[in-house]
Parts: sequence; C-alpha cells; structure tokens
Amino acid sequence: MHRGLDVAENIVEVNSLTKRFGTFTAVDSINFNIRRGEVVVFLGPNGAGKTTTIKMMTGLLKITEGSVKVRGFDVKTDLKKVKEILGYMSQKFSLYPLLTSFENVEFFGGISDLSKSMIAEKKEELSKIIPADILNQKIEDIPPGYKQKVALFVCLLPDPEVIFLDEPTSGVDPETRRSFWQEIYNLKNRGKTLLVTTHNLDEAFYSDRVIVINRGNIILEGEPRELLNSRKADSMETLFKEAIKEHEKA
Amino acid sequence: MKRLRAVIIKEFNHILRDPTSLTIVFILPVVMMIIYGYGINFDLKKVDAGIIDFNNGEHSRNLIKAFGNNKYFKLHDLKAGSAFPVQKGEKLLRKGELKEVIIIPKDFSRSVVDGTGAKVSIIIDGSDSNVANLIYQYNERILAEFMSGINRYAGLANISTKIYFNPQLKSSFFFIPGLVAVLLLMISAMLTSISIARERESGSLNLIFISPLKSSEIIIGKTLPYTAVAFLVGLVILVFAKFWFGIPIRGSVLTLALFSVIYVITGLSIGVMISTIAPSQKTAMFATLLITMLPSILLSGFIFPLTSLGPVLRFISGLIPATYFLRIIRGVVLRGAGINVFVTESAVLLGFSLILLLSASFYFQKLRKRPK
Amino acid sequence: MRLLYLVKKEFIEIFRQREILPFIFVSPIIQIVLFGYVVTTDIKNVPVEIVNYSNSATAERIIRRINSSPLFNVKKISASEADPKLVLKKGKLSAVILFRDSDSGNLTSSMPEVQVLMDGVDSNTSSLAAGYVAGIIRRYFLEELKNMGIKMPVENRTLIRFNPELKSINYMGPGIVALLLTILSLFLTSLSIVREKVQQTMDTLLVSRLSPVEIYIGKAMPMMLIGIFNMIVGTAVVVLWFGIPVRGNMIYMLITAIIFLCALLSYALFISTVASTEQQALFFSWFSMVTFIMLAGLFTPVENIPAAVRFFSDIDPVRYLIKIIREIFIKGNGITYFYKDLIILAGIATVVLSVSLFNFRRLVRK
Repeated sequence: MHRGLDVAENIVEVNSLTKRFGTFTAVDSINFNIRRGEVVVFLGPNGAGKTTTIKMMTGLLKITEGSVKVRGFDVKTDLKKVKEILGYMSQKFSLYPLLTSFENVEFFGGISDLSKSMIAEKKEELSKIIPADILNQKIEDIPPGYKQKVALFVCLLPDPEVIFLDEPTSGVDPETRRSFWQEIYNLKNRGKTLLVTTHNLDEAFYSDRVIVINRGNIILEGEPRELLNSRKADSMETLFKEAIKEHEKA
Repeated sequence: MKRLRAVIIKEFNHILRDPTSLTIVFILPVVMMIIYGYGINFDLKKVDAGIIDFNNGEHSRNLIKAFGNNKYFKLHDLKAGSAFPVQKGEKLLRKGELKEVIIIPKDFSRSVVDGTGAKVSIIIDGSDSNVANLIYQYNERILAEFMSGINRYAGLANISTKIYFNPQLKSSFFFIPGLVAVLLLMISAMLTSISIARERESGSLNLIFISPLKSSEIIIGKTLPYTAVAFLVGLVILVFAKFWFGIPIRGSVLTLALFSVIYVITGLSIGVMISTIAPSQKTAMFATLLITMLPSILLSGFIFPLTSLGPVLRFISGLIPATYFLRIIRGVVLRGAGINVFVTESAVLLGFSLILLLSASFYFQKLRKRPK
Repeated sequence: MRLLYLVKKEFIEIFRQREILPFIFVSPIIQIVLFGYVVTTDIKNVPVEIVNYSNSATAERIIRRINSSPLFNVKKISASEADPKLVLKKGKLSAVILFRDSDSGNLTSSMPEVQVLMDGVDSNTSSLAAGYVAGIIRRYFLEELKNMGIKMPVENRTLIRFNPELKSINYMGPGIVALLLTILSLFLTSLSIVREKVQQTMDTLLVSRLSPVEIYIGKAMPMMLIGIFNMIVGTAVVVLWFGIPVRGNMIYMLITAIIFLCALLSYALFISTVASTEQQALFFSWFSMVTFIMLAGLFTPVENIPAAVRFFSDIDPVRYLIKIIREIFIKGNGITYFYKDLIILAGIATVVLSVSLFNFRRLVRK
C-alpha cells in the first residue's frame, strides 16, 4: 500500500481495541487516531487502562479484540516492522540499574543495530547533556531527574518515528518536567509523533490533543483549550473531575 | 512480661494467617524425606559376577555353587557362547555390567586334592571402592567357607558376627533418623529466618525499633511461637519415618520429644541470628538453606563417617548442632538409649541456643541504634 | 551482532552483583576441597573395644595387629566386659570384639574364637569393619599355616581394575565436579530472567528488535561459559589437589558438559520464567538441585533407587553426567562405551530446551 507524505495522515490507528483479563475488561473497545507530528497526551486516573493500552500498542500485551496499526502495519501481524518505527519508554524508566549510563547506551544502541562509530557518537552526545560524574555511576545510584533524561535518550537511539512514553514524568521535580516537555517539542519539530501518558492534569496543556480515559473507556477527547471553552470549565481539573463524574454515573 | 506476651501473640497471629507458608513448612519436609529416603541407600544389591570355569570338575562346581548359594551374588556364565571368555569378562567389567569376574583355572580340582594351592583369579571393578571392598570381603568369606568344607582344614579361623540394633543391616535405619535431624534443623531455621527479614523489607521493623520492647524480648518473642510449629513439624517427620519407612522407635518417646524441643530451639536460634543480619528475605532464605543443610549433610555424620575426617574437619563438625542431635536421635530411636546418655549433647545444644540468641539480641540492639 | 551486546550486558550485570561473585570464583574451589575430604566412604579409626577372655598368645598377637591398624581406633582392651550390649548402646563404639579360647581339639586349636558384636546402626561402616577384622584374623591364620608348611587349598588372586588404590576420592571426585556444575549453573541462571522482571527491564527488552529466541540465547550463553569455566577449574582442582588420575579423553568431558549444560540451563530458564520473585526462583532451584543430586547416583548406586522413583532418575540429566564423567575419569572409556548415555542426555536436553523456549515465548505475549 502506498503511503504518501501527507502531513495530516494518521500514523497510528486504534480500532475497537479491547483487553480482557478473564472476566475483567481493562480496556473497552476504544477508538482513536494519532496524526503524524502530533503530541497526544493520554490522561486518566490510576488503573484507567493507560498502561494497558500502550502495552497493547507496543505488542507487549496480547490484544483481545480490535486492532492497532502503526504506519499501516498491524501490530498483530507485522510486529517486527512496527518495532522498527516505534520507540517506547516504560513507566519505571527501565534502564539497567546495575549498568552505567554509557553502558546502557552501548547496549541499547547495539541491539538497535547502531554501528560502533554511531554508538561512540551517541555517547559523545549524551556527555553534553549529562555531567561526567553522573555518567559513570550505575543507574541505580543516580537521581530520578537524570534517570529520566538518560531513559529518553536511550529510547531515541534507534531514531524512531513514533514514540510512546508511559508516565515519563512521574516522581520527577517540576524543573526537570519542564525541560522534558521542551525536549518533547524539539522532537515534534524534528517530525516525530509522540504519545505521552500521565496522571498530571496540567501536562494536558502541553499537548496538541488530549485523550481522557477512565475505566477502560475514552470519555473525553480534543484540543485542551477547545475542550475548556466548550465545556465552560475554568481549569483542567474541573473539566477532568466533571467528565469522570459523568462517566461514573452512566 | 506483658510486653513479651504481646509479641508472642502477634507472631502467632502472623503464623496462623499465612496458610501457604504453613503448608510448605509441613509438606516440604515430607517430600524431602521421600526423596532423600529413597535416594540414599548403601545397601548392596546382588552383585553381578561373571564366572569362567576352565576346570569343570567336581570341586570347581562346588565352588561355583558356594558363590551362587547366597544373597550376595548373581552369577553369569561367561564361557557360554564365547571363545574368549576372559576378554568378554573384561569388556563387561569395563562396561559396568559386571562387578567382578571369577576365573577358575584348568587344574583347579586337582590342585585342591593335591593341596598344591589352586589359584582362583578374581578381577574386581575398583571404581566404587566401597562396593569393591565389600565384594572383596564377600569373596574372602565364601572362599573361607569353601575351604573349611574340605575336611583337613575344618574350623578355619573361627569368626562369628552378631549384629545389634539393625539385624538386617538396612541403611535406611542409618539415614532416616539422620534425615530427621537435618530436616528439622532446616525447617526450624527457615521459620524464623524469614520473619525479621520480612519485617525489614516491609518497613514494620522501624515500628518495632521505636517500641518500648527490649531487644532481647523481641528476639525471644520471635523465637518461642515457632517452637510449637517446629515441634509439630518434627512430630510429622518422625511419624512419617516410623510408618512409611518402618523405622522402629525403641527408646522413650518422651525422651525423644524432650531432646527434640531442645534441638528445635537451636534451629530457631540460628534462623533468628541469620534474620538479624540478612539484608533481604532472599538473602535470609538462601543463607539459611546453605548454613543449615550443607554442613549438616556433610559434616554431622549423617552420611559420611566422622571418624574418617582429619582434625580440622572434626573440629568443625563439633560446631554443627546436627552432629549432636544425630547422636541423640540415633541413640534413642535405634539403640533405645535413655536421657542420661546424652546429657553432654543436650547441654551443648542449649549452649548453642543461648549464644545465638544473645548474639542476635546484641546485633538487633546495634541495628536499633543505627538504623539503615 | 545484537546477541553479543546482550551477552556483554549479562556479564556486566553478573559481575556487578557483589553477593554472587564469591559463588562463581571462590566457593567452587572451597566446595570441591571440602567435599573431597568429607565425601569419602573409606573407613579409618573405627572405634572398637576388644575384650580378651582367652589366655593364648595368639589372641594377643592378633589383638596387637588390630590395635596397630589405622583402620581401627581401639578404645579399650579389657579382660572382661559384663554387658557388651550396654556398651554398644551408648553409641560410641562401632563394635566390641570378643576373643575366647577355642575348645575344638584340632589343628586350629591355637586360634581363638572371635566374636564381633556390631553396632548395626551404621550398617556400611560396621559391615566393612567386621570384614576387616575377619581379614586381619584370616591373614594371621594363613601365615601361621604357612609357617607350619601347610598350603591352603585355594589361593585368592585378586586384581583390582580401574582404581587399584581403592581410594574413594577417585570415585567421588569426578562426581563432585559434576555436582558443582549443577549447583552453580542452576542458581545463577534461574535468577537471570527473574531479575529482568524484578528490575522491570523485561518490557524494554521485548520491545526492542531482539526476538524472544535471541533473548533466550543471550541469557543462556554467559551461563554456559561460566559453567564450562567452573568445570575446568573444578577438574583442575580435583586432579591437582587430590591427585585423581585422569585416564580418559577430556574432550569428551567437554562435549558432555556442554550437552548437560544445555539441559540444565534450559531447566533453570524455565524456572526463571515461572518464578515471580528472586526468592521463588532460588527456592525452586534449590529444591530441584537437591532432587537431581539425590537421584543421580552420586551417593548411592542407581540400582538401589526403587522402581517407583526410578522414572525421575531416568530423566535426571545429572545422573547421566555423573555416569559419563566417571567412565571417562576412572575407566578411561572411549565414547563407544557411553554413547548411549550421551544420546539420552542429548535427548533430555532437546526436550527441556523445547519446552522451556516454548514457555518463554508464550510468556512474552500475554
């Protein structure tokens, strides 16, 4: 199938995506698309199904029903191709705690098929963002702010087109959070597509579009400011609480 | 005293609310008894012996009969269907299908009658030296009996043996009580070793630290409730030993019970000591398994005779609680010994418990002063 | 290749776990030396008491021989003992040997009547000890007869093959190396996948371009290398320290070890995928190890294992490893003697590997 360079095209398509664990439905037939170059924030309380959704989208969890397509490739049948497009940063930053930042870069670079010279270049790059003494410490010994930076760097090593970030700002101080979102914008400007899950309501404003999920259902979707206006809410918090309340009543 | 009671009651509740651990604690030793009980067995089954009779006379046939008419050997005629029986014998020996090859020379019967000393060649597989020694002794015995059947040398070396306590020489009599000793120590230590480590991991240890309880009270409070559980486990193991493996209990059951309690306390103390030092549950469990099982199996006289050990290892075996209880349990169960025989051993075990509990209290106190 | 990076990472992680390091390097050596000295069926210094009711000089000469033998530790020589059974009951003696004057009036009248009262509890030691006593006495008797010019009708010419010194370490030593290989590999490997789960790096691995098979091999490879390293070190220690003869071709040993490790590591990885905490993994490993070793014929001949449990011994890879190692070391047998065992071992390895890999891939896609 021919994929044109249409900027408004959907690069991620999620259709009737469902996940059931036995009798419990964690994600209930959700539908949404992500356009190329968008920054989408996935918002929802704990246990809403954000992580489960992302895991299905990355092939980590088996899809019970529905489909996920990344640049036209179905996650169920063409996972290998999907993996070449996708980048993923998991909730706990998932770097190897016993290895140093450099060693993590080397490892992840290597398994992403980067050449030796490229890995060396990348290490150079990293040393400009992270101070030298942190670089040579084991990941388990460095503060979470730096962990996050390294985790993001490592996630970008294979230069993915689409990046999913699962709660990348949890447990991180506001300063680091701000610089993180700055980095997200840099990536967007380089043409990347990003999906970020969070339960920090104010981060919704950083996105082009916000999707609110509760108990496995999408209850709200749209541009954050537009939503505020249309719902006549004074803050994201109010909007959010009301949406949840409405959903719970139903 | 009241505070101590509170700690004990709390621990009891913990125990009762943890059904999975309880099942493991009772089922594991039984399973292990089955595995070890059947796995360790030094009883020699019928030895496969190859016979090559080049003589085929009256005396050689009598000799063969002598070798065959007992429970020790299973004879195989190597001459049948083979032109080179000796080579065949050597090959089967190398393959391990035969443990020995007995070659009776052509002039055997004549030599016996003449008194010129018929030479019987026996080739024994020496790989397993224990078995080889036993086989050699069987051979000697049979030859001696054979020779005394020839009139002139009647009454060749008048030796008789009488076996006490284990008339059928079943190795299970030796191992199963030993198994009880090893397993009881392991289970007792396991029970307590996880308790403090678990509290450390969950953070509730800090709460205990700030409580008005004395360190020694805490330690004792963590040990005593498990005594009952461990004792019950011991009971289960012993009952199993008696009814499944058929080990008789010749001494007084009460005596055994008393000694078991003393031993169990030693085991619990080991667990508490490990628990105080170990940084995590994983380390605690692993260390317990290692410390209780390995030395107990190797150096307590459980399988390998202590008398064969050099002075250094002998000394180390003296530091292992299982060594003492092994003597006790074998004595009481198989020899019917009474309390008076094992006063020293009991004293040593109690001494161990005391030292361990004191050390644990001491460490615990240190921990309290400088929490991590 | 991607795999190399994974192997390198595994090695870094192993060496950074400070609690594990001594296990890999130091404890194998200590274990072998310790086991080597302890795991012996040779008997020495067996405690006995001799009661001499007889008046003959012969008895005294025989008693002296027993006394000077390193096999026995004669605790007491007395002229009478009221209740030998009571003495044995205390459990401090293996046997009480009674010497009485013989009342048969023939050639052998100078020989005393000997009765060995055995403590049957340690059946093995007691039987051997009684046998040695009988041996000492018979030898004396034969010498006496020789001095009188009488020849024995039958002479026993015994040849010991394969282990002429009859040292039990020659038999146990190779088995201990096998033991070592088992224990270490099992524990370390069973932790490897669990560690990823606990560290929560498993997802990152799975999302990467590594296929499940690559991940599996990447985990097994370092352990295989460590296992072989330990085998070499262990063999060297056992040969150099204890002086065990090496009669066979060591190449076969290497091949056997590799096939064995395939089976064992697959099993350990299976445990690793099933366990959810490191504690569980260690527990399962330990329990499996104990079972494997008990049923492998290390301490006890395989023939002694009763039929009901025999099946487990038949699928126990350690059993085949021990058998083959012993054949190579002690008998110096070539592959024609143990190829059947090797094939069975390879078969077990294949089955376990398949099941383990299948389970791993199944787990990867929940």
